Amino acid sequence: MFTKVLVANRGEIAVRVTRACRELGVRSVAIYSQADKDSLHVRDADEAYCVGPGPVPRSYLDIANIVSTALASGCEAVHPGYGFLAENARFAEICSDHGLVFIGPKPAVIAAMGDKAIAKRIMKEAGVATIPGSDILESARAARDAAKKIGYPVLLKATAGGGGKGMRSVERPEDLERAYASATAEAEASFKDGRLYMEKLLVRPRHVEVQVLGDEFSNVLHLGERDCSVQKPSHQKLIEEAPAPDLGQKQRRALHEMAVRACKSVGYTNAGTLEFLVSDDHVYFMEMNTRIQVEHPVTEAVYGVDLVKEQIRIAAGERLGYAQEDLRPRGHAIECRINAENPRNNFAPEAGTLSRVAFGDGAGIRVDTYVASGSLVPPYYDSLLAKIIAWGEDREQAIARMLQALRETKIEGVHTTLGECSDILETPEFREGRYDIGFLPRLLAGTAALRQAQG
Amino acid sequence: MSPEGNGIAERVRRLAEFLVANDLESLRIEREDEVFEVGRTPEYEHSVPREQKIVPAPVRVEQIAADRVGTFHFSRPVPFVGEILEGDRELGYVEQLGIRNPIRSRGSGRVLAVLQQDGDLVDYGRPLFEVER
Repeated sequence: MFTKVLVANRGEIAVRVTRACRELGVRSVAIYSQADKDSLHVRDADEAYCVGPGPVPRSYLDIANIVSTALASGCEAVHPGYGFLAENARFAEICSDHGLVFIGPKPAVIAAMGDKAIAKRIMKEAGVATIPGSDILESARAARDAAKKIGYPVLLKATAGGGGKGMRSVERPEDLERAYASATAEAEASFKDGRLYMEKLLVRPRHVEVQVLGDEFSNVLHLGERDCSVQKPSHQKLIEEAPAPDLGQKQRRALHEMAVRACKSVGYTNAGTLEFLVSDDHVYFMEMNTRIQVEHPVTEAVYGVDLVKEQIRIAAGERLGYAQEDLRPRGHAIECRINAENPRNNFAPEAGTLSRVAFGDGAGIRVDTYVASGSLVPPYYDSLLAKIIAWGEDREQAIARMLQALRETKIEGVHTTLGECSDILETPEFREGRYDIGFLPRLLAGTAALRQAQG
Repeated sequence: MSPEGNGIAERVRRLAEFLVANDLESLRIEREDEVFEVGRTPEYEHSVPREQKIVPAPVRVEQIAADRVGTFHFSRPVPFVGEILEGDRELGYVEQLGIRNPIRSRGSGRVLAVLQQDGDLVDYGRPLFEVER
């Protein structure tokens, strides 16, 4: 095992990783920006060093300062957390060039999975279903042929795309020509690149992802799935749960098997997540995240495994000490993300001083956070303040415990997503586990319309 | 302070240092339209600290801090407390991944404090020297 690990992150995940280090008897080194000097992750660590001013490119993304801190302070390994440098293959490579263990998969695997086209090809070769799609479409006629092959409804997308520009959904063959013309014109105007490709449009898909762990001895295990379909209109997740509430046993098993097969085919090591879209009876691979995820605690709650400790152990060259059949999920867990955001203003992030912070607790409640009364929320970073995780013997109990914890939680000084999370948990769709990735945007549009009607 | 005023204060200070270094009582320099006269009086000698006597202008203390994270080393000659810095001199460097990032005095002044030791790990913004301008 390592004697000292640098935690290359901030916020709740830095606190989380520092705790795991302490439990393993490993000393931790925190890095921080000047804007974070009084933050909890700085006080929690055994040593802490400032790596730059508040803006991210000059601090949490300054690879030379971070690697230099690790070396000069005598660390043997670096835990990247999520975000920032967690999926930066170059960073992983620089770490290893300087004799530091990057706690994550090999740089080549990070790079391959980071390229959507390469990742899709690798998955296809491993026998994992991907969303049916076309190559670049040379003309409206080519689009018509592709749509016939894929089957309506289809989605036209710009190859240079982003933010929904140059994107059109097409339900019927007679609408295709016009959609193609307007999408290519919009893409040309937005990106100076009018090229389009086509994908099958999934009807009310759910976002279901599978957690995996792989060690350096070719052992790959899955730790079940999470449903992360409660997403803001920006596709950011807000509420996650494990296991997925509306999945047949056959489909569930197929997902798990696909995830393990795919990981074995690329020689995957450390923790990772394969994201899928589930629509009707079909399951399609979307992307793989080669890091620990924000929502990992719901998996930890039902499997009784500390994923961050496992990451550190695997990186230190230890074997997974158990087999797939030893892993049995128990009960149900839900996570709510409490963000410093204004839900009534398109979830615009907010910064400021938190005049009061008090979290609910009780049986089955876990809170991962970096804030307390008086904490400063700097304007430079992710708006996540805390994650509340509720575990119950069944889904109903988990929901009840979560609602109670949300009611007890008080955060003053900024707007938060607390109320929004409660509202969602109270809806019949969520209660019954019948929701898809369009659920929250529809709910928000409905309440906005209602507010407008009421003046 | 205007640049011009700054220049005069600097020249007066250098003359004063020359005075002290050569153990002279007073010194007078005449040049075209300028006259500089620097002297010390016995009353001053006993009642006021040396620095205040020879530099009558108000002092400004500036911290020189590390702007990269790494291992700090002194440059040669090693700066010492009380050293008079002239111009932009390299006081030390932060060694980062084999690269030397020089720490410069960024102008003249007098070293008031040396805050780190050779070989220390210094992080961003860590004060290294205090310089009186």
